[in-house]
Amino acid sequence: MRELVLIQPGRTLEGPTAREHERARADREFEERLTECGPLAFRVAYGVLRNAADAEDVAQEALLKAYRNFGRLREPARFRGWLVRIAFRMALDRWRSVKRREKRETQGEQSEPRAAGPTVEELAVSSEFQARLERAMEELPEKFRLVLLLAAIEGYTLEEVSGMLGIPMGTVKSRLFFARKKLAEKLR
Amino acid sequence: MSCEGYRDKLIVALASGAGSLDGDVATHLGTCAACEKFYEAQVNLFGAIDSGLRAMVNEAVPASLLPRVRARVAEAGTPHGAWGFSWGFEAVAVAAVLLISVGLLKQSPDSRNKVNDRIPVVFQGARDAKEVTPEQPRVIAAGPKLSSSEVKMVAAPSVRVTAPEVLVLAEERAAFEKFVKNLPEEREVAVAFTRPATDAKDEGVEIALLQIDELDVKPLESANR
Repeated sequence: MRELVLIQPGRTLEGPTAREHERARADREFEERLTECGPLAFRVAYGVLRNAADAEDVAQEALLKAYRNFGRLREPARFRGWLVRIAFRMALDRWRSVKRREKRETQGEQSEPRAAGPTVEELAVSSEFQARLERAMEELPEKFRLVLLLAAIEGYTLEEVSGMLGIPMGTVKSRLFFARKKLAEKLR
Repeated sequence: MSCEGYRDKLIVALASGAGSLDGDVATHLGTCAACEKFYEAQVNLFGAIDSGLRAMVNEAVPASLLPRVRARVAEAGTPHGAWGFSWGFEAVAVAAVLLISVGLLKQSPDSRNKVNDRIPVVFQGARDAKEVTPEQPRVIAAGPKLSSSEVKMVAAPSVRVTAPEVLVLAEERAAFEKFVKNLPEEREVAVAFTRPATDAKDEGVEIALLQIDELDVKPLESANR
């Protein structure tokens, strides 16, 4: 989208006016990226954490981080790739700390019962197979895991995944192949 | 090929997402009931994996996500300071590199070898002659009582001095000392002495013709009067 700026005759766009104009433009661009990529960040985080509240927190943090670094992430493809990677990494960090906390708690006297029991939806989705699939996913190398998650997100083609991660299409396909094969071996 | 081989092939086909099986694998499946059963189980397994993965990531995005991010962005303030900082930092870095480069370019080999303010004088005749650093130019005043062997010792190549040496006659020593003493005040002279001569060939100097703008010629009689 191109913008028209009205300048009084004999005056040039400089100084604070130019800076304000640039700020407004950057804010608009960030809003566009936020609307486009916010859900993607959430889904990547959810794919790792399997918890909507945690995934939302991680997505928020990742988007805020992206905003702080927006000066060098204004190119849409670059922004998306960076956001996906940062959301994935932050989600993994969160997942590890959750696991450590759980481990500490179970090592105590008696593990406390969960504050809130699983909802009907959770019960429906978390079948035995789903639980095994999640465990198998956790054992996969990170690079395979990220490609699997991105390829499973609706609306993104393998070509887009390749662009997001900045890796060739052939690499995306081979990672997908090995990841699916490994998952099948674990689940067979 | 054994059944095991065919099974490996069909797993590869399913894992890579290929829509169809190779001709020989498909033919084998038609004739081997066990492999046919295995194939169906694998198709179901890969299908379950795919749907499980889709369920894993295509969770409905909470409606609160984007408004909360916007609120936090507004709270945090615009990161323009950060952008400005990054540009400012880059500008400073570029300026520093430029300054250093210009400084290095300006420092020509001549200026690097410029004369020290104080040029030490070493009298070869004196036994307690002090050592000079190789960087310093060395002026040697030859004493009147020097034997040829002592002179040889001075000129021996074992003395590792890279600075120029000057031999001065005994009768000129006092004048030379005075000259050296005054050198710090007359740096241009010192530089002229120590700089190597330019390679430029001598060229003829053109002298402009004498020009007389106005010539007032007076009669001889009036001049005598």
